[in-house]
Amino acid sequence: MSGFEQLLKLNNCKEVREMTELTLAYGIPQFQKFTVHIQKYNNVTNSPELRSKLAELPFAYIDSKTVVSIEQLSSAVYKAVLESEYNRMRTRNLHSECILSLSPSSNIGDALKTFGLKEDSTDLIVIKITENNKGESFDGNAFVKGDLVAISNEEFASSADIETIKAVCIH
Amino acid sequence: MSAEIIAVIADVLTESIPLTPISQGAEAVVFTSPVHPYLPSSVKHDGNKLYILKYRPEKKYRHPDIDKALTKHRTLGESKLLAKLRLIDGLNVPKLIGCDPYHGCIWLEFLGEDLPDGHGFSNLKNFLWMNAKDPYSDLVKETLIKVGKQIGLMHWNDYCHGDLTTSNIVLVRGGEEWVPYLIDFGLGSISMLVEDKGVDLYVLERAIISTHSSFSDKYNMWILEGFKEVFESNGKVGLKKYKDLTKRFEEVRLRGRKRSMIG
Repeated sequence: MSGFEQLLKLNNCKEVREMTELTLAYGIPQFQKFTVHIQKYNNVTNSPELRSKLAELPFAYIDSKTVVSIEQLSSAVYKAVLESEYNRMRTRNLHSECILSLSPSSNIGDALKTFGLKEDSTDLIVIKITENNKGESFDGNAFVKGDLVAISNEEFASSADIETIKAVCIH
Repeated sequence: MSAEIIAVIADVLTESIPLTPISQGAEAVVFTSPVHPYLPSSVKHDGNKLYILKYRPEKKYRHPDIDKALTKHRTLGESKLLAKLRLIDGLNVPKLIGCDPYHGCIWLEFLGEDLPDGHGFSNLKNFLWMNAKDPYSDLVKETLIKVGKQIGLMHWNDYCHGDLTTSNIVLVRGGEEWVPYLIDFGLGSISMLVEDKGVDLYVLERAIISTHSSFSDKYNMWILEGFKEVFESNGKVGLKKYKDLTKRFEEVRLRGRKRSMIG
């Protein structure tokens, strides 16, 4: 192995490590078989491209403007998993169900329009829910071109648009 | 409380959520748990926090289908009511954390604390007992006026509690003061009727008369004082509503909670 290759490998390892450190992965006590992975990207440049491929990609892409806290996001994930386990989902998959769960209304189109990825989204949140016993995992690659940042309530609050959220959530 | 009921819900929630039963009513069992139902454990800061789980167990005497429908309806109804009440400025109710209508579960934030010297949990009833040696202290007066304000605010917004008793008012310590929170909206509703509000007031009055009879006159007076304040602050409309309400309250007081079916 040449010195260059070694360096490249090291570099990749570092990148992977950074990715896993910046991804919030957690389990839901009631639903041990799932693992939820959350990433946040700022300064995203390929929103239109992502939007066009939205249906094929196994992620939930959420516009950061509509999320203020980890609690808000994790409660939506909880509700989505709950519906999928005990009732039936209203949307096609667990990821779109997460977006619907963020919305106070049951209108799927409205929910996707408000909380989902938009053409001009620059900050976005990526959620992937994996099933542990199916050998599914999240390698950290969410096809987003942007800066991966650490998840925190402060980070969410900084990119949230309170007025939009108020308009949607409080009648 | 039957171990069977606990076993059912413990099985649904898995062993990762430890439950401690704290109270049981006709319709629900209330547990505390140190585990939040969905917040990632890495972001939760306060490790001593408890969460409330209100669980409506299956009623074996009902048809399973009807039972499921009823449980779902009531669990959702209570959750929605609580969520709406939470949005009212100045009104104190527990925060809704989660809701699993398919198993009859409502997750709420834990409120209150244990009163000093073994006086029990910090609901209004125990608080009044604790202060029975100095029943007319400023602290008691201020607290009861605040309780009245909470009820007034709820009624002004056309919400009714349905089971307003001194144990359904929890006091949360705010420095030297106590901040009242209304809990248990299992019988709550949205209602424009003066009757329901009159009954709310009457039920609370009776609760106070029966548990703190020596001081009940003053206690009830203070609660109504706080209650009135809310309506007065809403101008002419408020005053009119207050008048209608007290009139009905007095009628209810004369005849009791149940209306006569004769005639």
